[in-house]
Amino acid sequence: MLKKALIAMLAALPLAAAAQNFQGKTVTIIVGYKAGGGYDAMARLLARHLPKHLPGKPTVIVQNMPGANSIIAANHIYNVAKPDGLTIGTFNRNLPIAQLTRVEGVKFDITKFQWIGSAANESTILAIRTDLPYKTFEELKKAKEPVAIGSTGPGANTHDFPLLLKELLGLNFKIVSGYSSSADIMLAVERKEVDGRAGSFTSLRPFIDRGLVRPLIRARASEAGIENLPVDESLAPNPRAKAIMALRSAPEEVARPYVLPPATPADIVRVVRDAFAKTIKDPELEAEGKKAKLDLEFLPGDKAQKILVDVMNQPKDVVDEFSKYIKFGE
Amino acid sequence: MTEALFEGLVLVLQWKALAFMMLGVLLGFWVGLLPGLGGATTLALMLPFIYTMQPVEAFAFLLGMHAVTATTGDITSVLFGVPGEAASAATILDGHAMAKKGEAGRALGAALAASLVGALVGAVALALAVPVVRPLVLTFGSPELFMLAIVGLAFIASLSSHGGRGMLRGFLAGALGLFFATVGQDPQAGVPRFTLDLLYLWQGLDLVPVLVGIFAIPEIIELVARGTSIAGRLPAGRLSRGAFEGVKDTFRHFWLTVRCSLIGTFIGIMPGLGGSVAQWMAYGHAAQSARTAEERKGFGAGDVRGVIGPGAANNSKEGGSLIPTIAFGVPGSTAMAILLGGFVLLGLVPGPDMLSKHLSVTYSMVWTIVIANVVTVLVCFAFLDQLAKLTTVRAGILIPIILVLVFIGSYTSNNHYGDILVTLVFGAIGYLMVLAGWPRAPFVLGLVLGKIAENYLYISVARYEAAWLTRPVVLVLIAVAVVVIIYPLFQARRKSAHA
Repeated sequence: MLKKALIAMLAALPLAAAAQNFQGKTVTIIVGYKAGGGYDAMARLLARHLPKHLPGKPTVIVQNMPGANSIIAANHIYNVAKPDGLTIGTFNRNLPIAQLTRVEGVKFDITKFQWIGSAANESTILAIRTDLPYKTFEELKKAKEPVAIGSTGPGANTHDFPLLLKELLGLNFKIVSGYSSSADIMLAVERKEVDGRAGSFTSLRPFIDRGLVRPLIRARASEAGIENLPVDESLAPNPRAKAIMALRSAPEEVARPYVLPPATPADIVRVVRDAFAKTIKDPELEAEGKKAKLDLEFLPGDKAQKILVDVMNQPKDVVDEFSKYIKFGE
Repeated sequence: MTEALFEGLVLVLQWKALAFMMLGVLLGFWVGLLPGLGGATTLALMLPFIYTMQPVEAFAFLLGMHAVTATTGDITSVLFGVPGEAASAATILDGHAMAKKGEAGRALGAALAASLVGALVGAVALALAVPVVRPLVLTFGSPELFMLAIVGLAFIASLSSHGGRGMLRGFLAGALGLFFATVGQDPQAGVPRFTLDLLYLWQGLDLVPVLVGIFAIPEIIELVARGTSIAGRLPAGRLSRGAFEGVKDTFRHFWLTVRCSLIGTFIGIMPGLGGSVAQWMAYGHAAQSARTAEERKGFGAGDVRGVIGPGAANNSKEGGSLIPTIAFGVPGSTAMAILLGGFVLLGLVPGPDMLSKHLSVTYSMVWTIVIANVVTVLVCFAFLDQLAKLTTVRAGILIPIILVLVFIGSYTSNNHYGDILVTLVFGAIGYLMVLAGWPRAPFVLGLVLGKIAENYLYISVARYEAAWLTRPVVLVLIAVAVVVIIYPLFQARRKSAHA
């Protein structure tokens, strides 16, 4: 018995060692969207610099697996991909919301992925035209006329963030949804069809700099330039409202999620996680990221996982009310 | 302005920029030819290579590549009836019909010459439009964009055959297209519609698998049934002689070519209408030029005007769609969205400055489109003989090759087996439509415009309630739509009164 176990252990040893060496192998990053978007751009940037930091300098390629706002890709990584460290997944940050609100077709438990971490966070802000009389959030709150906010549709931060401001903080908003992209809303702002929009600070910054819009409020995740804006959660009238807003914001701290299949051995997870941490600090990658206006900030896997476990452990009444407002999308 | 125009040309003509442009053209040439592998995807894949280039070189590379995909996409459409690009599907209707009559050379000649004229007219229109572009784009709000979609749908009238029965079929096919456009998660309530509980359908139907199915599959079935080559049993010598004839056709219908080019440029300038609308509007307009019911029947059966119209429009729209991209940072199509990523990468800030301070850079892009098209068309003419001969290859050899292209082509849109199923299902629908004599163009028009019409109508009503109907441009567009619908009826009546 003992001998057999020993032989088994010995046999397993070189295997484990080999698994951590990626020499001559190909690592695939599966992106849950088509080529060309933000998730894809980030994955391709990482794929170029990841090989330097993985043991054995493997080839790293990007594969697009679009559909159902990334659910197809996440299902694949969770159920089909081999847990050998050669398949990495990146997908819609809002998948936790899909799981939480019991969207049909979800065949994964977001907290059980082996989390590499998040490559960036996303700071959502709301900005309105500078020619409107509202200079602060307080003034906006007292608006008599409804303020038209353009949105791309439920499930996107252009929609959900202002929706909660309207429903929970009582802002006089008229949310106009159906624009094809956030850039499209920006044009509508320019021709005064709508008065403002919510979205990532990165995408709004050029228009703020140009003096077209003024940021008035932000969600939890912050970055240089918007630290002093009021945060939606801190204005919540009651703990329930606060919990709902916090729930909406949580995925934004894990805005560019990177995961391995659930059964991936711990030593491989560690190796990949370390490689990601080093890659994101790589000066060459930083320089390219700066050029491409991709802000990177590594959040290690254990922390990402903790945030998501918190999301999943919300009491039922909070989840129920949350589901009334928020639909999974984008 | 003339100075900026000249400076722009000088920028492009530097040897490095020119070399990169040729590299781009070479890549785009193949991307356009191969169905499925679209210009947008290729642009995304090429973005990493521009990190080390100078801005003008990078644009020459990317734009050169993008500009020719529509041109060479037409070649696949004409030869095999398989859309080489989503933006070149309209060329199939008459282009491939001509190929079947043994006029592949003439069709290709016309498509290429029209592409060239389109690119040139588009560039000139653009150069002239620069001062008015900002007010023009800002005038077109959601209500106006909705009405543009309606005008587009009104073209169904000229895409259907004459008479009450023909019209009814045309509009019903259009309605079917609109219906299929609603598949997927809706953007107002976030509810999945007609998704049959399939994750694949959440994002709606992808255009490429549908177009490939509805146009290519019926052709393949027909080819199998006939068992001959595409051009039947015509003598091979006749094929290429027509190429010059096709060029002459383009100039015989010169004003039609110019008008279709302007339609393309205009649709391109309007952000939010997307890349595949222009060709169908132009095709609809070309079909309007049929003077008699007899002539009208010729459309779809190999009228060269049906090749010239979309051929011109899908090249002229490229210049147009550059405008919202660089002047507002609002891309007019997926490809432009990716190009925009390229701009940012190179440190160029899209915005009003691109139309004033950096005007020469803007013009260098226009020049790139022109030069890339000229080069491609000339190269294509050199190979035209060989290309046209493909239509004389025996069905037994050709069919497997086309099938591979068709299925790989549709599979590349999502890398999902669902793409193949969609192609097959719409192949069946397309085949039934052909058998029953229902026009396919209105169906595609409905599909392409459905989402646009729905979203902008919702926005218009949500924002302005009923007041959007009284906006002046909306009123003008309503009148245009009415005229577009009545025109063929009026034409038919006048002819029968004469007879």
